[in-house]
Amino acid sequence: MKSQVRIFSVLLVFAFLMAACSPAAQPAQPAQPAADSGPKQYTICFAFQDLETEFWMAGHKAITETLKARGYKVVEVNSQEDANKQLEQVKNCIAQKVDGIIVIPVDGSIALKLIAEANKANIPIGIFNRPPQSDEGNALTVVANNEKIAEATVEYMAQEAKKLGRKVKPLIMVGDLGDPNAVGRKQGFYNVINKYPDLFETPVEVATKWNADVARDGLQAAMTANPDIDFIFTSSDFLYPTIQGVLEPLGKWKKMGEEGHVIMGGLDGDKTACSLMQPGNAYVDATGVQDLYFEAQTLLDAIVKAIESGDKQPDAWLDDPGFALTQGNMAQRELDMWGCKLFHGK
Amino acid sequence: MTVTPRFSPESTAGMLKKFFQRLLLSEFFIFYLCIALFVALTPFIPVIASPYNLSNLLSNTWPLFAVAIGQTFVLIIAGIDLSQGAIISITSVIGASLIATKVDSAVFGQSPIWGKLLFEDGAILAHTPLGVPVALLTMILVGLLIGFINGAIIAFARIPAFMVTLVTQMFFASLAIYFVKSENIINLPKSFTSIGADSGLLSIPMVMTVILAVAAQFVLSRTVFGRWLYSIGTNLRAAVVSGVPERKVIILTYMFSGFCAAFASIIYSSRMEMGRPTLGAPFLLDIVGGAVIGGSSLAGGKGKVIWTFLGVLFLSLLGNALSLLNVPFFWIEIVKGSVILAAALIDVTRTRILQYNV
Repeated sequence: MKSQVRIFSVLLVFAFLMAACSPAAQPAQPAQPAADSGPKQYTICFAFQDLETEFWMAGHKAITETLKARGYKVVEVNSQEDANKQLEQVKNCIAQKVDGIIVIPVDGSIALKLIAEANKANIPIGIFNRPPQSDEGNALTVVANNEKIAEATVEYMAQEAKKLGRKVKPLIMVGDLGDPNAVGRKQGFYNVINKYPDLFETPVEVATKWNADVARDGLQAAMTANPDIDFIFTSSDFLYPTIQGVLEPLGKWKKMGEEGHVIMGGLDGDKTACSLMQPGNAYVDATGVQDLYFEAQTLLDAIVKAIESGDKQPDAWLDDPGFALTQGNMAQRELDMWGCKLFHGK
Repeated sequence: MTVTPRFSPESTAGMLKKFFQRLLLSEFFIFYLCIALFVALTPFIPVIASPYNLSNLLSNTWPLFAVAIGQTFVLIIAGIDLSQGAIISITSVIGASLIATKVDSAVFGQSPIWGKLLFEDGAILAHTPLGVPVALLTMILVGLLIGFINGAIIAFARIPAFMVTLVTQMFFASLAIYFVKSENIINLPKSFTSIGADSGLLSIPMVMTVILAVAAQFVLSRTVFGRWLYSIGTNLRAAVVSGVPERKVIILTYMFSGFCAAFASIIYSSRMEMGRPTLGAPFLLDIVGGAVIGGSSLAGGKGKVIWTFLGVLFLSLLGNALSLLNVPFFWIEIVKGSVILAAALIDVTRTRILQYNV
């Protein structure tokens, strides 16, 4: 009996392996709608890295709700910042023969591998907000023009600094440089710093790796070593509470117009930034805005068009020009910022 | 004439009890669970049995199985190796930093290995014919070295394995991030990335891992060294009294664990086509979970390579099935954690039943 069970077990394992690895073990092509079976309900796989910031939460909500409103079935997977898991999840989606894939990749490197897998399976893929590290493969990539947005934001901050009539000591909280968004934001900051050599002292850089704990440790050390820092640009708005946590005990968390105010700006355009820019309670001078809803809408339009037209490997770079919301244009443009829409409950 | 019913309620209940007891005590219990899960789910998610999905499932299983083999050896001697994830990360970075064919100075200019291992036109061994073999060998040697450090401290300083490997995990995980300042090294040569490519039944990861598994099981079941492992895990004092060179065995066991982690790192890094300083960070639960679900005991003295394979397969199958069922993502980890806990409880129950029967 025991030997029979063993033989049976070995046979089952063998069958399992054979099935798995047969020459037909290729991703099945997405099914085409039958001509006489009415409109097909398309399925979109939405693979996202995590939902740890307001930006990603709002992006997730915008994408899933819009897709569902359009009658698409959405398969959601969360990789929790694990690139290997994201690869496995996208492969699972391919196994399910989804019609399209939208990814917020863990980083620009894994995006390349995900694009390669989707291309191999002939499934259109869209990359949201975090661009691949190179232009290999075919994908729809929607991304903000981070360099231009950061530049516009820091330019406004520089004009505010000029009013002080002295040199200022700038600090930049740098994102994860494996993420091209962070590289663009850093470049935009330095474009302005280099433009006004008489206004700025040598900037202090704090690496954040997009991690609030890392950012807090780095900022604390930088403020201790350089207590004269009076100009801070954060590469992401989600770090404002971290900045407040460090500046407040030092007596440097001051509203605009108060003595000792640190000129401050960031990028993303989230709800926290909006709350910190409100008249009478303004700690932040300017923030760069990624037009989240524009990005979501643009990517969805493009991928839906590709799916419905049968384009299996669409390849396009979709640019979000964004803008800088400043204390100078708050009255006109506040509600163009996605974070302010959330802040005002719209 | 009195007719005795062929199946009395008592005998049916007894038979059922006996059946479940035998099932629970069977060393292939997890295999039966895998089959049951697979068969039960196939009508609801037919795609689970599709060749592409099965190939995908197995390609996820091989590297995890490889690293779990090393953990099994460590568990058998009543130890634990929490540093395996860090070994995966640092060997991934070191291997890639020897062979990347193109490196961006804007990204790696601040790295401490810039100008030493990484250059504008590629890594130090990027364009040499022996670059990839040397990188692979280096990865393995680094894994063995970290294992040696773990084993030597545990064996000679008598510090608990949990503490030692926790510290080495922190140290080497941070070192991996420091080397490349958190950046991933891409542009690895084809001869390296093809190792982890999915290519059917005879995929390289499968062949490599099966050879490793057979060799490991041979060592466990057919050599004196294997018997030393079980004796140390069952009763260290008795093993020492019996003449088992426990320090040597402990060091070699942790070296093997480091070797397995580096071995898995080769598969993971080539499969993802990059060196990642955080590559191994998320794996610890699955590594220990796979071994424990298979039947290795956290108390030591128990474990087999085939059990670990079944445990890892079950864990992979469960993750795959939950994903295909489109279970909300937060539930997936909850279910996986619960299953690992259930496995630990079953292990305790099995041990009690066996003790009672003895």
